[in-house]
Amino acid sequence: MKRAAWLGAALLLLAVAWHIDADPARLVRGLPWMWDFVRRMVPPDFRVLPAALRGAVGTIEIAFLGTALAAALAVPLGFLSARNVAPPAVYYAVRTALNFFRSIDTLVYALLFVAAVGLGPFPGMLAVVAYTTTSLAKLYSETIEGIEPGPVDAIRATGATRLQVLRFGILPQVLPLFLSYVLYRFESNVRAATVLGFVGAGGIGLYLQTYLRMIDYPAASTVLLVTVVMVMLVDFASARIRARLV
Amino acid sequence: MIEVQGLRVVLPLETVALYGVDLVVAPGEFVVIIGRSGAGKTTFLRAINRLVEPTSGTVRVAGQLVTGTDPGALRLVRRQIGMIFQQFNLVRRASVLDNVLAGRLGYVPEWPSLVGRFPPRDRALARDCLAQVGLADFAARRADTLSGGEQQRVAIARALAQEPQVILGDEPTASLDPTLAGSIMGILGRINRERRLTLVVSQHQLETALEHGTRIVGFRAGHVVFDGPPAAVSPDVVQLVYGEEAA
Repeated sequence: MKRAAWLGAALLLLAVAWHIDADPARLVRGLPWMWDFVRRMVPPDFRVLPAALRGAVGTIEIAFLGTALAAALAVPLGFLSARNVAPPAVYYAVRTALNFFRSIDTLVYALLFVAAVGLGPFPGMLAVVAYTTTSLAKLYSETIEGIEPGPVDAIRATGATRLQVLRFGILPQVLPLFLSYVLYRFESNVRAATVLGFVGAGGIGLYLQTYLRMIDYPAASTVLLVTVVMVMLVDFASARIRARLV
Repeated sequence: MIEVQGLRVVLPLETVALYGVDLVVAPGEFVVIIGRSGAGKTTFLRAINRLVEPTSGTVRVAGQLVTGTDPGALRLVRRQIGMIFQQFNLVRRASVLDNVLAGRLGYVPEWPSLVGRFPPRDRALARDCLAQVGLADFAARRADTLSGGEQQRVAIARALAQEPQVILGDEPTASLDPTLAGSIMGILGRINRERRLTLVVSQHQLETALEHGTRIVGFRAGHVVFDGPPAAVSPDVVQLVYGEEAA
């Protein structure tokens, strides 16, 4: 039984590899070209550093504003899709809607918003809001479902209203975790926002794509370096804050 | 003070927890409920303030109907009923004072309370209740930094902050060592005598029950099988309440 499963898995991998034309020989033949690519990228052209930094700031702005708006929008959705808080009909409706919209990636949202509101960081920010709201709402609702029921009972027993029970029985239990998820999403969104420029939705990706199109590899490598440093700094800072929260 | 008539509770999956319980508690009584685990003690207490929804029967507290009322009326009568729990049920990350202030939620204006604004009178009352359980200096501490006995005293202060007519206790000493258990029961006894508060407390320790209660009610398999003063609890009664063979 176990051997059959392993054999089946191996056959599946081979079949898929064949289907997508996976060919190690092609990779080997391409190595010199990749080497050439890398060689042309050094030394980086630091004259474009100011432009790259502007792009980096734009990317962080998109991620920051988008994550912040989504963090707030996801709070009501999180409560409405938590089994232990929402009435069953609401729970199923909201959860189904969230699952539907969460299956669309940030980059796809960016294409839609660029078509709707035109080029620039604004559609990028909207794309971050759209995806992050659904993903945070899911994390929020799972956190709410995992709370201790005891303090909630105690608050209900005092004669508190529904909203007071949410505020005093549930929110103190979930808020630190919510903040930690928001920071984590911010890190991911900085990374996601680096490619939003490829579809015209602002940020550092726009510069990378432009220099690659102009075949200006030294400039593109400066942009890449700035991207790497930016992502590492954001990850580092965010991880430090998160460690303090939980 | 508490009038329970024909209280029947069927929990999900068709488990009958209480079979038509009748009980009248007079003002100022300190009723201790005894019985084996699963006898229906917790369900009975939680049905009095409708944390558990009764299947049928009526409950009145301080003359007000608890059962069958709309949410607004239920909240008003819940203010009259303080409750303490085996696991204390404090909000761990909140300060001690904020936990006690939660006892005022039924009285203060709703919207200001949601942003943490409580009238000065309610804050003063909360501090006063904290002082009464001997924890005045702990107001700013986070609740989960306190020991178990201290946390239960905070929970008692929260119940007192409701200015209730009745306090219900669901095994309030079961997670504490015997010395602390005695001191918590002592605090409850003092509240009962000094404030003339009506208490209904379940207790798995028979000696503690007899020492502190003014009236003992024995539950067995969802029925009241004994009801009388502590002095009347004979070995036969103990056998009736706790005995192995069917009662």
